[in-house]
Amino acid sequence: MIHLSTLETDHRTPTISRKMTPSATSKTTEMFQRRVKLILVLDFPMISSYTTTGLSFSFLHNRTKPKEVQRVISSQKKSRKKFFTPPRRITWRLRSVLRHPHSTSSLHRTKMADETSAAAGTSTDPGAGTESNLRTTKPGTKRLFLTVSVLISFLLGAPFLLKSTEIHRSPLPSAAISSLSDHLHSNPPSFPCHFQAIFLSPFKRSDSLLSLSIAERIKAQFSAQSCGNCKFTVSVTVDSGSSCHHEGDAASAACLWECGGGGLVDAIEGRDDQGIDELLLSAVNERTGGCAGRVYSVFVMEGRDERIVIGKHRHAWMVLKDLDDSTSVGSMIGTVFGDYFMRGGVDKGEYIPVGSDGNVVLSFSLLNSNPSDWIYDWDFQRTGEVLLGPVLEALAPVANITMESQVLYHAPKSSISYWDEKLEAYVVNTRDLPFFVNSNEWHLDTSLSASGRSKVLQFVVYVPSASECPLYIRTPEGEMSKTNAFISPMWGGVAIWNPPGCSMQSQGIHIVRDALPTQELEKIIEIFIGQLRLLFGLNSNYVKPSPKFKFLASEKGFTNWELDLLYRQHTCFNLLSSLSTLQSLSTLVESLPRMIVMDEIGKQVELSLEAANLAEKNISLGINNASALSSIRARALAEDAFFHPSIMSISYSSMEHYFAIYMPFFAPVSLHVLLAAVKEVKRYFAERSKYLAFRASKLKSS
Amino acid sequence: MGGEGTRMRRRGEAGEARERGEARVGGGDHVRGGEVRGNIGESCGNIGARWNEILCSLFHGERFTSRPLTGEGVMASHTFLSLLVLYLYSFHLARPIHCSVGSNGFDTTSVLKEEFSEELLLKPLPDYKVLAHFHFTSTSPPSSSNGKHHHLFPKSIAQLVKKYKIRELELSFTQGRWNYDRWGASDPLSTANGKPPGVELWALFDIPTKEEIDATWRNLTHSLSGLFCASINFLESPTSYSAPLWGFLPNNGDLRYGALPREAICTENLTPWLKLLPCRDKAGIASLLDRPSIYRGHYHSQRLKLRSDGLNGIVIEQTLSVVLQPIDRTSWSMHQLFKKSLTGKCALAKSSKVFLEIEGSLVSQNENILELVGEADMVTNDQHDHSTIYQYNVERYSEHEALDIRVNWKKLLQVSFLQAPLHASRFLMGSGNERGSIAISLQSARNSTKGLYDNSKNCFTRVVIFQVVPWYVKVYYHTLRIYVDGAIRNTKDVVEKINVTPSEDKVSPGTLEMMLQFPCGMMSAALTLDFDKGFLHIDEYPPDANQGFDIPSALVSFPDFISRRIYPDSISSPLLQSYKGRNIVKSYTEVLLVPLTTPDFSMPYNVITFTCTVLALYFGSMVNVLRRRVSEEERLAKSKDKRRPGLIPLLISKISNKVRGIKEDSANQSQSSQPILGPKVVFKVVLIALIAVLGHYFLNTS
Repeated sequence: MIHLSTLETDHRTPTISRKMTPSATSKTTEMFQRRVKLILVLDFPMISSYTTTGLSFSFLHNRTKPKEVQRVISSQKKSRKKFFTPPRRITWRLRSVLRHPHSTSSLHRTKMADETSAAAGTSTDPGAGTESNLRTTKPGTKRLFLTVSVLISFLLGAPFLLKSTEIHRSPLPSAAISSLSDHLHSNPPSFPCHFQAIFLSPFKRSDSLLSLSIAERIKAQFSAQSCGNCKFTVSVTVDSGSSCHHEGDAASAACLWECGGGGLVDAIEGRDDQGIDELLLSAVNERTGGCAGRVYSVFVMEGRDERIVIGKHRHAWMVLKDLDDSTSVGSMIGTVFGDYFMRGGVDKGEYIPVGSDGNVVLSFSLLNSNPSDWIYDWDFQRTGEVLLGPVLEALAPVANITMESQVLYHAPKSSISYWDEKLEAYVVNTRDLPFFVNSNEWHLDTSLSASGRSKVLQFVVYVPSASECPLYIRTPEGEMSKTNAFISPMWGGVAIWNPPGCSMQSQGIHIVRDALPTQELEKIIEIFIGQLRLLFGLNSNYVKPSPKFKFLASEKGFTNWELDLLYRQHTCFNLLSSLSTLQSLSTLVESLPRMIVMDEIGKQVELSLEAANLAEKNISLGINNASALSSIRARALAEDAFFHPSIMSISYSSMEHYFAIYMPFFAPVSLHVLLAAVKEVKRYFAERSKYLAFRASKLKSS
Repeated sequence: MGGEGTRMRRRGEAGEARERGEARVGGGDHVRGGEVRGNIGESCGNIGARWNEILCSLFHGERFTSRPLTGEGVMASHTFLSLLVLYLYSFHLARPIHCSVGSNGFDTTSVLKEEFSEELLLKPLPDYKVLAHFHFTSTSPPSSSNGKHHHLFPKSIAQLVKKYKIRELELSFTQGRWNYDRWGASDPLSTANGKPPGVELWALFDIPTKEEIDATWRNLTHSLSGLFCASINFLESPTSYSAPLWGFLPNNGDLRYGALPREAICTENLTPWLKLLPCRDKAGIASLLDRPSIYRGHYHSQRLKLRSDGLNGIVIEQTLSVVLQPIDRTSWSMHQLFKKSLTGKCALAKSSKVFLEIEGSLVSQNENILELVGEADMVTNDQHDHSTIYQYNVERYSEHEALDIRVNWKKLLQVSFLQAPLHASRFLMGSGNERGSIAISLQSARNSTKGLYDNSKNCFTRVVIFQVVPWYVKVYYHTLRIYVDGAIRNTKDVVEKINVTPSEDKVSPGTLEMMLQFPCGMMSAALTLDFDKGFLHIDEYPPDANQGFDIPSALVSFPDFISRRIYPDSISSPLLQSYKGRNIVKSYTEVLLVPLTTPDFSMPYNVITFTCTVLALYFGSMVNVLRRRVSEEERLAKSKDKRRPGLIPLLISKISNKVRGIKEDSANQSQSSQPILGPKVVFKVVLIALIAVLGHYFLNTS
């Protein structure tokens, strides 16, 4: 046993016991050589800012503690500090000791002394002597068992605690959501459509090239991201009166054109476009009986003045000089199918302003900028319902639309207008239009009839005050806008109407009180119908690719093929939006692990997902009504789940809160239990090895 | 004395009968009009759609020509002709229209129009304050398009009425308390406009079942709170509203009443209220509403009252009563009061008038108390000479000549206005947080209403008390004690009719409706009711729970006393018209503030921490005791005692250590710093950092 004390500490030379046997000495030396541990006992009795003083090294066997060292340790424990600087001499001595453990006689002597005292201890208390390196009895397991069992019961209890303090979270089918969403994104739903080209010409020979070039032209219109594409089939029929030839594939035989329409060419002669349109409609209904509502047709005829007319229903007709050039004819037919019947001449159309419950409220307002100049009233109730009624009826499959009207006063615009000499009018530049809508003074927003999550589209007729009359919108080219109106997507449209007496600048005593002339109102409503088309993502007017093209406008505002298009886009948009809502909900729920998710939300999510799956299936099967309905349902349910009041409110109990509640108990208790267990285990093993050593020595001696 | 009273009553009856007669005549007119319209409608059905259109437009044209034609009459008639032609033409082009649409043209809207009128009544009060009472009336004739198409009438209110099937509704926002003593209690203005502090809402529904009414009420409160930016939605909970049968207003159980005494009123409530006016505060009388001036007043009550029936359509009365204190007590003008001048009417108002009402008591006592500056358009007295009205038509005034009424008090004197027969006040008795009692005291206001009493035995005054008490104030209704002139009276003798709805904990409030009969000669009466204070759940306390809880005002009404003022028919004013109605004299009592036992809201956490600490201590010491080895410790202690040096030598050695240490340290500073950054220390630091990083990472990712 070696005790190396500092110079400051008094080195006590112990007396060597007479009882000591050589064998025991050699044994301890051996043990010493095997396990040497350096214990540094640091002492700073008084800490000053720059210095340290006392330092004592105990260099001893790991099992024995000479009493004087223990005393030094215990007396110095109180002021133990981390920071110290050992004196050089001691370092040196330590090194020398480490190098030659047996060289110093004093060290040897110390060891001998300890051995003696240990032996003495063993003799006095054979059971459980901490200071002795040998023990004669087996160490007891009572306390060990106790502490470990407490620890184990704590560990066993932990899952129960976690379970009982768990936050109720209804499981969301996030895997199914993301898989469906991925599927839809990589592969947007496409609706089965059938296109047929019918040649009403006795001289046309059937040509396989034709249907190929049509299909090629249509495919060129495909863009991966867009919604509402067709999964199309193309068939070409040559109906020459006497012979009949089909080519291409149709969804079913019933959809094929039933030949015998040779008389159509003669019947068309002498009719105007509207008449032809109606005639062809009846012909289509008659001859493709099975799927009259689902087939898009182009009739091709031969004639001198070339023209292409796209009708109000689901068909178009073209009169061409030369039918033999299959590629050019095919590409022309393909243009009609692809650009118009399938894509509606637009490439966007992502946003359809329909509320998530499928309701739209059209709110029409007549805004009198300054009623002290003139007050205009309107008879919207009658004119509006007459003109807009058919439009709303036509849009019924896409949205349930209601309308209301009001007249507001003292509602100036908020952008600045300038006097333009050239136009002799006040003008608003197009770049100022975003500031035209004055949300402070235009109280358009109140609509209680818009229940739930309906969408309100505002249509505003703005009557300027005398000081800014006549008011026009100037296009960037410096010209006056023809309609004097503009739209704001997803909000609605504004039309400026200049009162007739405005150029006179009459600021008389009498306030002009008048109604908006019916004719003017009709004009404005026509503009609004155009704006509604734009808001729904259709063109207000088609840009004609060539002067040969002609579009027949429907009095309903929307032609049948446009409605089909809206229908497709709306279904697809609903589907995608429901999935994106669901996905963001599941991301949100995952990102907040301590958020309460109620069962109702889980149920809504499940139902919404179910409806979305159903819609997707119905789309591919071509069941339009069912797919639209379930897509609306999917979206409504997804929105319900996302905007559930329990999510909006503070139902998030944070981890910090959890810890704050359980820390005061579990931190001190677990510390006690853990330390006690560790100490007991350590002690048990230490005692056992002592006992084993004793047994070994006993065996040796015996 | 009695004679006078009966005369008054009889006269009242006569007036009532006359009024009823008028109403009958008016009603007859309406019916006839309806018949005529009906006939036209039928004929339209017979003749056919096109003729119907012509008729429609003719009718329409008639409406145009009924405009006052002045200078541009010729022009207008030209435009009318051209319009007519265009109109016919447009319908000629359009497709056939259903007769129902056409007959809508004959609807009452084309005959009766939506109307709006604005009035302001100024009234000098006896304590030199001024009452300014703004009164705006909007009417919408009965029409199928109510809630859809509106010209002047606020669309949102019409939609509210339609959606919730409201027959009558009154919403008031009040700040301050109407001083019944001084400002009058039995004139129509104070009867109608004295409102309890905070928000009061009541509504009569046109819905058959109780459940549906409750559900509608809940939705209505939400809509109103959205509309008026107030927390009216707190009235949604069944604990806050009640359904009085006759104490508030006689009804068939379709009335709901709720009050929020603590709601603060400010501009955010005024702005949406102003939005309902066609001119808002941009023009007309409402432009006087200078926010700092009106919110400085002593009393501020903003009210919306609407009635809807098949005969008159929807009528909304929006009133704002403010009691202002002029800077100069003896002389004030409108400009001084409002800091704004009235420069003209709202262009849309049918009539725009300012009235100055001088109470009869001020005029009769001495003709020269008040002096008016400014010429009135009309001066008139009411039937009983209770007051004098000076009428000013705002139309006459313009920016150059603003309307400014000035009133000078010539002589300062104390008078008071017409008092209610009994002056009611309510207070709390008892102390502590356990129980108390509510007392309502009624003091006879004899001096001013002398004529209404005599001391004969058969004369009784009926008093109706309506009181809603929240559930946490648990009133024991059997403890009702009634004192008349200081002596306790048997309740059976005094109570004529009583209806008690006891409160149910956390479900419904208690409602007390009580009709009492007091002898006419009574000087004072008092009612007391004992109650226990309930305990609330911690979630149910409002944010400022220590302030106490408000018990809404009780309503004390006197069914035998009618406040009405009948003015000559030459004044057509909706405001004065409303004075003619049978308004029962009533007054609201004070709001009571009940302090309840309020817990320390940080208590739960304190309790958790405290209990946990105690438990942890207990547990820790238990574990330590269990694993303690007493014999071993004793032995250790003994051995320590043997070797321990005295305290003083230890101290000396420490001090000496310190002194030496300083010297050594200063010498060896360069070497001493080495072990600080030893590999072990670095390893430990790195290990701890690693554990921290890992812990942070796992906490974040989970």
